[in-house]
Amino acid sequence: MKKALCLLLAGVLAISAAACGGQQTVTNDQTASSSSSAASSSAAEETSVRPEQPTGQLVIGTTTAIENDFYDPSFNNNASNYKIYDLLHGLATVTYTKEGEFEYDPTVVKSHTETENEDGTKTFTVTINDGLVWSDGTPITAKDFVFQLLLENSDEITTIDGYPANGGVSIVGYDEYVAGEADAFAGVHLVDEMTYSITIKAEELPYHYDITYASAMPRPMHIIAPECDVVDSEEGAMITGEFTSDLLLKTINDTATGYRYHPSVTCGPYTLESYDTASQQATLVVNPSFAGDYRGVKPAIEKLVIKTVSNDTMMNELEAGSVDLLFQSSGADTINAGLDLVEAGKVEKTSYFRNGYGKIQFDCSQFPTDSVAVRQAVAYCLDRGEFARQYSGGYAAIVHAAYGLAQWEYQESKDWIDQNLETYEKNIDKAKEILEADGWTKNADGSDYSGTGTRYKEVDGELRPLVIEWANSEGNPVSELLSTMLPEAMAEAGMELKATTMDFPTMLASMQHTGDKIYNMYNLATGFATANSPWYYYSTDPTWMTAGYNSNWIVDQELADVTWAMKDTPYEDTETWLNEWQAYIKTWNEKLPDIPLYSDEYYDFYSPKLQGWDTSSVWEWSRAVLDAWVTE
Amino acid sequence: MGKGRYLLKRLLYIIFVFFIISILMFFIYKLMPGDPVEIMLGDSKLNMKPDAYQALYDRTAEMLGVNRSLVEQYFIWIGNMLTGNFGYSTQYKQQVAQVIGTPMRNTVMLNMLAMVVVFVISIPLGIATAVRKNTAFDKTVQVVTIIGYSLPSFIIALLMIFVFAVKIPIFPISGVRSPGFSGTGIEMALDTLWHMALPVIVMSISGIGGITRYVRAAMIDVLRMDYIKTARAKGLREKVVVYVHAFRNALIPVVTIATGWVVGLFGGSIVIESVFLWPGLGKMLIDGLLQRDFAVVLTMQMFYVVLSLAGNVIMDIAYTIVDPRVRLEN
Repeated sequence: MKKALCLLLAGVLAISAAACGGQQTVTNDQTASSSSSAASSSAAEETSVRPEQPTGQLVIGTTTAIENDFYDPSFNNNASNYKIYDLLHGLATVTYTKEGEFEYDPTVVKSHTETENEDGTKTFTVTINDGLVWSDGTPITAKDFVFQLLLENSDEITTIDGYPANGGVSIVGYDEYVAGEADAFAGVHLVDEMTYSITIKAEELPYHYDITYASAMPRPMHIIAPECDVVDSEEGAMITGEFTSDLLLKTINDTATGYRYHPSVTCGPYTLESYDTASQQATLVVNPSFAGDYRGVKPAIEKLVIKTVSNDTMMNELEAGSVDLLFQSSGADTINAGLDLVEAGKVEKTSYFRNGYGKIQFDCSQFPTDSVAVRQAVAYCLDRGEFARQYSGGYAAIVHAAYGLAQWEYQESKDWIDQNLETYEKNIDKAKEILEADGWTKNADGSDYSGTGTRYKEVDGELRPLVIEWANSEGNPVSELLSTMLPEAMAEAGMELKATTMDFPTMLASMQHTGDKIYNMYNLATGFATANSPWYYYSTDPTWMTAGYNSNWIVDQELADVTWAMKDTPYEDTETWLNEWQAYIKTWNEKLPDIPLYSDEYYDFYSPKLQGWDTSSVWEWSRAVLDAWVTE
Repeated sequence: MGKGRYLLKRLLYIIFVFFIISILMFFIYKLMPGDPVEIMLGDSKLNMKPDAYQALYDRTAEMLGVNRSLVEQYFIWIGNMLTGNFGYSTQYKQQVAQVIGTPMRNTVMLNMLAMVVVFVISIPLGIATAVRKNTAFDKTVQVVTIIGYSLPSFIIALLMIFVFAVKIPIFPISGVRSPGFSGTGIEMALDTLWHMALPVIVMSISGIGGITRYVRAAMIDVLRMDYIKTARAKGLREKVVVYVHAFRNALIPVVTIATGWVVGLFGGSIVIESVFLWPGLGKMLIDGLLQRDFAVVLTMQMFYVVLSLAGNVIMDIAYTIVDPRVRLEN
């Protein structure tokens, strides 16, 4: 009966959470944050030997329904499909390692050279290994890599459902090529059968992650443009033959046969066996021709079925055996239900911290949150530890600036962070002190502040109140908890918090200044990109703001300078990078464009038949599945 | 002649209302905050240089036609819709006609089976309780149906899952098909039927509760009529009295409900679809609204408008069939 009630309650909570636009329930657990950190902790012990040949089936449950689209994120950036791209399309020349670093994939790349040219451009020349083949046995050559660069930056592909064709924006000659003004892509060359080169524009250099410029992945030219060829010329590489939008509409976009929906020939660890549109379920089978990942690891599980599960019932599905793996589970109700199953010996678990956090995001272009003092005062009004604890129940940590607990920079800087960052413990007196110093010293009638009610400040001869307009999305549990914890404390400090609830697209429009431009703060969650680029996120150039990079709309030269300095640091110079990162984090912590609220602890729960499971926030299930195997 | 004129008039009325609603719907949705182009391009904004993104934005806006005036957009949209071109889904990046088929099939399949189950059970049950009014059987059914009618469907759904999928695992918890299923067409159909069991039971419980009570009330009214007494006085068998004389006259309220159900065949339930992960039109409509996928939302809304308007006419015609006293006249 107790379990039935728990199930009902979980259902109610999950439905209310589902209506909130995707933000997940979390809490704070200081012990967990200090003990587990980035390294995953696994209760599973391997009880069998990894098989030589792929065998068995793994059913993976995902809460994001899979869609019928298997080309790349430019066509469809659904989170589940994103992982399937990883499994189907492989052999990129630059990869992201388990340790969270970019490097040339030695399985794919035989040799590489980087040449800095006199005109400031830089050429990356990459020779690929012999013996790589497509799933149909056709050899993979440099032409397939160059074909990808030419295809996915061509003006022909831009006519296919708004494909952005932006992958090569940093390459010399991109603008002319994508506009259709040049047949050849000047910065791309087919050097020989197994070698290609990419030349990067001078204005894009130096760049910390410049190794990513060398990256290309093969696309099967014999399937997508069978009558065409890739040839090289002095002007660059080009596609010859009848390469037209009509051809791509047929070979890529035809729902019955197109590569986007039916990727018949791939080179990743798995091939798509079927996608069931009725049940939104994808079945992948192992690609025997796969050459291995950057470590040479090939899959040991023969078949993967990826099916949608509901937050309400996914633990029941795991218990009943209709799914074998639930990844990145978060929130106290879900995690506790999973831990009950672990305790009962029915499932195993792995946990790790999310590479991101939930936050209050300030709009720093709006009065009064354009003031650092006001932002800091708001932070001093919130007990973040208590907030996180109440919110989730022990499965999150709090961070004090824009970093994730899985990032190596954090791992290297734990002590430094403890010593140098302001933790903004709740302190109303401190908030008052900061506001006084910032000039919020008046009542509405212009007299000195009485100590109660809303503070006013004289700005350009006009008395203006300390009112914070807060936009939040409907049904969001974070908003609900903030509503109980913030207004009273802020009122005590002399601030008025005005909340407006709306749906997520409306909130997004306000954040991007395409909707109502009146709000000072929002609450939402964010994750860090693999190539995390803070120099764009805090750029004072208005074009980066309107483009959505600087989502705080913050114009702070100190923050901009400290981040811009990171952009030029060579990738391999980790010592300089770490110093610059610490300077950035310190400045960020002071300027406080966001208030970080929580960083979830994620759990993977899985059947005991799954062996060798080892994930982290930078090594997600689509990568970890190559190391794992199943016992029947 | 009167019937023909009536139907013609109703047809003209349907066309008029269709266009009025199309104008209202189109402008209401288009005036909602949130930019469908931005939402469609998603993360591209953070992966592209600002000028390149702007070029892409302009190109996409041109492709979707959202850079024209709202009036122009309306005429283009309604013209396309009337010729079978329902537009382009910004969420799925495909033509609406291509993405709407499967959820519609899922929804109709589930609703149809639920409807059959509901009517097969509730009509005989309603008649039986009316005939045995105030007996223990009647009172038990009354209590059970009111519980079924009153309980929120997601609570019934979670209870059913707990009982019939977790504790007594005879039905699957969710989905349309078993993971990795392969088999013949018949095996696949049986597998889908097996997955439909729990959602159909849940949908039927509240449906049976409501319709049983409607049928019972209508039958009780009819059974009090003088012509029933006459029929009994003539010595007709009770079954003939109940099923031939009484039930036909009790059908009018049932027809009203049944027509509503037929129209509702195409209306998805967000609760059932979410709990049982049955990809149907209900979730598609909500997702479309949240993603500002106006082509999908407007297509579905206009489809429901046509269905509702046509459903009213069908209901009127059905009245004349079940009750010859009803005439379709001005």
